[in-house]
Amino acid sequence: MKIETPSVADWERWGIDPHWHRTVRIERTGLADVEWSILDTGEGLRGTIVCVHGNPTWGYLWKDFLETLSPEWRVIAVDQTGMGWSQRSMRRTLEERVAELVAFCEQHTSGPLVLAAHDWGGPVALGAVSSLDVRAVILGNTGVGLPENTKVPPLISTARRFVDLLCRRTSVFVAGTAAMTKKQFREALRAPYRKADRRAAVADFVADIPLSEKDESWLALKKSADNLSNLQVPLLLVWGGRDPVFHDRFLADLLRRAPHGDVHRFPEAAHLVPLDEPMAAVAAVWLDDVLGPDPSSLGRDNSKHVSADHRSFVAITEALGSRSRDKTAAFTDRSGSVSWESLAIEAQDIARMLVGAGLEVGDRVAMLVPPGAELLAAAYGVWLAGGALVVADSGLGARGLRTVLRGANPQWVFGTAKTLAAARTLGWTPGARMICTSRFPRALSLTTHRSTSQSQLPRLAPELEAAIVHTSGSTGPAKPVRYSHGALAAQRDVIHESFAMSNEHGFVTSFAPFILLGPALGVPCVLPEIDVTKPSELDFDRFAKVLASSQVDVAWLSPASARRIVATAEGRKAKLRLVMLAGAPISTELATAIAEVTDADIRSPWGMTEAMPLTDGVGATQQIGDGTNTGKILNGAQAVVVSLDDSNPEPVPVGEWGELAVHASWMFEGYEQEWSTEHRSEVLLNGVRFHRTGDLGRFAANGDLHQLGRLQHALFLATQVVPCALVEDPIGKSLGRQVAVVGIGPKGTQAIAVVIQAEGKLRLADPETTALVRAGSAFAIAAVLEGELPVDIRHQSKVKRELLAASASAFLAGR
Amino acid sequence: MKVLVTGGSSLLGRTVANLLVARGDDVVCFQRSASGSTAIDDRGDIRDRSAVLHAARNADAVIHLAALVAPKASWNEMLAINVDGTRNALAAATASGRFVHISSPSVAFHDAPSVGSTALAADYDGGDGYTRSKAMAESFVRKETTVPTVMIRPHLVWGPGDTQLIGRIVDRARSGRLALPDGGRALVDTTYVDDAATAIVAALNHCNAGDEATLAPLVVTGGEPRPLRDLVASILEAAGVTRSPRSIPAPIAARIGSALDRVWPGSEPPLTHFAARQLSVAHWFDQRETRRILGWEPSVGLDEGFNRLKAAFASSGDSGQS
Repeated sequence: MKIETPSVADWERWGIDPHWHRTVRIERTGLADVEWSILDTGEGLRGTIVCVHGNPTWGYLWKDFLETLSPEWRVIAVDQTGMGWSQRSMRRTLEERVAELVAFCEQHTSGPLVLAAHDWGGPVALGAVSSLDVRAVILGNTGVGLPENTKVPPLISTARRFVDLLCRRTSVFVAGTAAMTKKQFREALRAPYRKADRRAAVADFVADIPLSEKDESWLALKKSADNLSNLQVPLLLVWGGRDPVFHDRFLADLLRRAPHGDVHRFPEAAHLVPLDEPMAAVAAVWLDDVLGPDPSSLGRDNSKHVSADHRSFVAITEALGSRSRDKTAAFTDRSGSVSWESLAIEAQDIARMLVGAGLEVGDRVAMLVPPGAELLAAAYGVWLAGGALVVADSGLGARGLRTVLRGANPQWVFGTAKTLAAARTLGWTPGARMICTSRFPRALSLTTHRSTSQSQLPRLAPELEAAIVHTSGSTGPAKPVRYSHGALAAQRDVIHESFAMSNEHGFVTSFAPFILLGPALGVPCVLPEIDVTKPSELDFDRFAKVLASSQVDVAWLSPASARRIVATAEGRKAKLRLVMLAGAPISTELATAIAEVTDADIRSPWGMTEAMPLTDGVGATQQIGDGTNTGKILNGAQAVVVSLDDSNPEPVPVGEWGELAVHASWMFEGYEQEWSTEHRSEVLLNGVRFHRTGDLGRFAANGDLHQLGRLQHALFLATQVVPCALVEDPIGKSLGRQVAVVGIGPKGTQAIAVVIQAEGKLRLADPETTALVRAGSAFAIAAVLEGELPVDIRHQSKVKRELLAASASAFLAGR
Repeated sequence: MKVLVTGGSSLLGRTVANLLVARGDDVVCFQRSASGSTAIDDRGDIRDRSAVLHAARNADAVIHLAALVAPKASWNEMLAINVDGTRNALAAATASGRFVHISSPSVAFHDAPSVGSTALAADYDGGDGYTRSKAMAESFVRKETTVPTVMIRPHLVWGPGDTQLIGRIVDRARSGRLALPDGGRALVDTTYVDDAATAIVAALNHCNAGDEATLAPLVVTGGEPRPLRDLVASILEAAGVTRSPRSIPAPIAARIGSALDRVWPGSEPPLTHFAARQLSVAHWFDQRETRRILGWEPSVGLDEGFNRLKAAFASSGDSGQS
């Protein structure tokens, strides 16, 4: 049966070049010859990418691939037999579909071949790789069989039960799939499947999904799975984290079969990731990277950030062990103190029980435990047992937690009754074993296979994964960040040396996760009585109470806590040796004020989730014209100011600003399942792999590092890119008020809006202030506004500039 | 070069003519009244094709600025002057060899804010006669021109002696009739007259076959967007008007405009729906391409422009209406 094809107007409306469309004949497959409708960009410089859709989509799914990857590549998006605009025919089994794809590639392509596939196109493409000379494979959400302990996704089981009704007679299945993507794509997705007779193959495809050995295509699917396990060429998985069918366990299953695969996961994307996300752009960069040789790329280097010298590696669990007979307090919070001795014993017990319960070295354990002694014991127990911590705090909110936990895919979850219930109900950690810390040790003993006392604890190695933490999400989506034991040990050492932490006195912190540092440093720590997500609850009274009841001589404060302490001090003093401010750039005024209250040495070191700390933070109270003085780069770390040229960033002369790139033995290993993010953040300078931090800054003549804000918050004017601090700081200083500047309009032609902190809704500032700001600034200020500056939850200090830019833009756009 | 400038009695036309004369061009200004420029006047009606052709008989280029800008003139008159007039100017340019057509960014206005956008298609077909006729003129020039043609869309041109924008704002503010939609928060870019004029001269220089400038219309602005309130405040300050404009919610302004469109008897209602909408939403443009293609940059800008405006008001001792 031949079918009509879309008109030129249809193609144009769908954003497809009508010239791409043509029909080709597939011959000698052992079946009847068949005509395929394909979208073919023609003539590529580097080879051919053949894109295989799933069910019930068609070549349109690869719209972005066709546009983005051609003409460098010849991109062909095929419509499988009976699907899209291809010929309708007898039903096809998986084996037959594989044979047809092989025949198509042999008969209609030449030169280097790359296969891209999605959904049930995955098994078809993987079935074909063993018969073709394929250079690389790119997969969207797909699967090659049910992962262990996983039920058939309800959508699939229902579709199979009522296959004729849902898939052929009605368009429920087709419409339901199209509804998973944006409105503008739906018409085209549904177009070839408007009538029941056009949907026969859609139903056959569903019916062909093998669920047991009895099913016809079982062996063919197994072959596809085996081909994946034996895959010798580079593999990229671009994954939507919110796919109800091919969910994250399928991703884990694919990676178990092909551990060499690179993953870029879009946590918020659903099933149709090739349409919904810039999968094509990720694929383009990835192909350059793995297939090279492209002079502008760095080439492949799997050494990553592993530090040069691990000969003297001392694990972060050692200090706790060495104080295991010490009856003094290791940790104190509102519920009391726990001694080094009991913390060490408890951690040991937990570790043995975990090993007994089957925890394997490298297993990930999500910590949904509120900060406190229980968290410390559990964390060090996990480390001693060879596990890696997945640290997620409630400041992320339910949605953020899901994103982070799904991304890290832990095998174990520690939590309270409440957090575990949430994890279970909201599906944060599918398939993970849940352990309630308040029911220690019973919770573990119940599952113990062997006697705990016999469990041997592993020897920790520097390369072993130690933790997955995540960026705050205040400057973009939260990103999971991987740390090795080597890096954490190096971090402990640099903090010890640079800030002379004392074993007797210890520190107080308003950053709850920082308590994890205490036992590693072998230094007591105190968590004040505040809600961990509300650092601004730490007022002078609570702060003074901590100092009176403990011997701490160091405070590690978020700017919000420091501001509150200063504001409530009323002339009183709380003496300390050292105050470290971290989490957000600190104003000189705040640093000076907290210095007066504490008489302490004030440090505001530069650092980030990916590497911390990086500077000594000396000079926080020193006035500089613009930006934040973060002091000198720490011993063992390297920082280079590079130009903003994305493809080829180069060091700039001293005194000039640029993006800060760093290298340190205590920096992160990489971003978990964010290949593209990681790739973009790396730059090779003199043979050393540096991390581009996204922070802007410059070195002063005396070697001090001045931080100037984030690259993504810079002002992209028509003539230049300007770090926001260069505009904002002089205005803020002259007005004596907190201000934030944002770029309005498209990058590259932005207008500058200044927003002055004031209560209430966004509005134009009064004419006098406006004139003052304009006259005082070296930059062309388009608008001066007043209103509440939105700040992040975790630090309550970082202005949420994306949000502010959006609201200021909307305000100035009018209506 | 010999240049015919149509619409030489407008502020922008006069300034362009003076600039060309100053650089040594032979310039003829064609319009009904005296241009007041340093060029030679050849007075006539743009609707009179033979008069236009005659005025352009020796010209190497035609710069076409003549247009009817009254908010509520008859549609026939709009068609005759803005569309047929442009047809006549194009006919003259076809004989002379180069055409610089002055249009307006509003030809692409679709009720949505313009936030750093470039020149979009001239497809306005709404109720504003001026804008609609200018859109039609631009479209047929694009279609029918056979000589190198550059189309320039200067945005909100103003300067000393301007009766269109400055005159109206000052008059209304003086009589307490000036109200700004939503307090004048919309970010608006404008063009000081001398800067618009240098851009048009640059356009003439680039009016050669194959030049990038001939490929698509170019929006020209000063590239200094500010909230409407701030612009109006600076104008009023220059004019010595102390009364501040009132604020009116944007949707209400639009409704009043619609009502006046229907019932206002004269040719100049205090507000039209189109004007209300235009003043309620942002209007500023990406100038990078324009500046690169024309090799031009504004040299006066807002602050110096306001200084000059103030000086002009001070010396005339009047409202600035010339």
